[in-house]
Amino acid sequence: MAGGGFDAPDSGSSGLHKQKKYKKGKKVGVRIDMTPMVDVIMLLLTFFILTTTLNTPQIMQINLPKGDESDKVKVDMGDVIYIRVSDKGNAYFSRGLSDGTEAPPEKVEFSNMKAKIESIYAQNPKLLILLKFDRKMKYSMMVDVLDEINKAAIEKRYSFLKMEDADKEIVKNAGG
Amino acid sequence: MKKARSIKKPGVNIDMTPLVDVIMLLLTFFMLVATFKVESTEAIEITLPESAVTDTTKLPEKDIMTMTLTKNGDVFVDVDNFKVREKVFGDALGLGIFHPDSTGKTEYEQTGLVMGKPIKRKMVVMNREQFEKALKELRLELKNQTGGKSDFRLVIKGDSESDYAIMEDLMDIFKATRNTRFALVTEIRSSEPK
Repeated sequence: MAGGGFDAPDSGSSGLHKQKKYKKGKKVGVRIDMTPMVDVIMLLLTFFILTTTLNTPQIMQINLPKGDESDKVKVDMGDVIYIRVSDKGNAYFSRGLSDGTEAPPEKVEFSNMKAKIESIYAQNPKLLILLKFDRKMKYSMMVDVLDEINKAAIEKRYSFLKMEDADKEIVKNAGG
Repeated sequence: MKKARSIKKPGVNIDMTPLVDVIMLLLTFFMLVATFKVESTEAIEITLPESAVTDTTKLPEKDIMTMTLTKNGDVFVDVDNFKVREKVFGDALGLGIFHPDSTGKTEYEQTGLVMGKPIKRKMVVMNREQFEKALKELRLELKNQTGGKSDFRLVIKGDSESDYAIMEDLMDIFKATRNTRFALVTEIRSSEPK
């Protein structure tokens, strides 16, 4: 019944001596079953791993021009395209013409906005996009438009302009 | 003797202590990371817009100045540095609030709530002048503390339902205060838009 200690006679080391003493008493140490603890910890771990990785936000970098008057750049109207977005969230493209006027607006759906921007860029690589958003438009629309521009394989040059009453008129005449 | 042993110990005992150690370490790590993220957006519930930007730039880890835009038209200014907050907002858990539309008032002033919920942090209501001043002070204070080594990254968290008007007003202010570099926080788009 009393296992190892009993028939290990030869070496007279002190360690063995002690062991013998212990065995005489009761069982050595207390064994704690860690399995339930590990289970719980594993559960917590998976929970935290999932919650942290599922919610990874990304960012969209934007650079505004510095507000200096001296920075003003003259652009040829022929290189410009206006993207106007109405309060209802409809986007209208109109290309500037080199005589200073602009072509009539054309409604562009979000699904083919990227292709449209790319095709215009292919015709004129000096393209500058001027964004005019209605103040009543939703913020998410702005992100959507910027996203389409970012997705397009072009050199991104865009700038934000205020939507004036004249712009609202253009959008309204084109269908709102 | 061998026989005696095998009778005494029937099963195989695996020592789980190292395993538990490693798991505990992982657990603390993830708990800390998770709480940091929760803390920065604490109590202001917004729905981020989705985007599918192909180069996935991630949010910087620290030294961020966050502007949270709610659908009520309020802007919340927060930084991730306790000491800077303490100096500028007068409380380590201070939170600036600003309503760009000068004709209206912040939700907090009207109801004492933030997105319909009570808030535990000390709120600092600002007008446009104070907001512009706070923007400068926050940056200056961080520079003072770090000896000019670090600067805040400006990050905008807008609710997708909020009006573009807030963004337009904010961009005017950013231009005037020379905060011309900023980033919009978006959620990765999981499906194609409608």
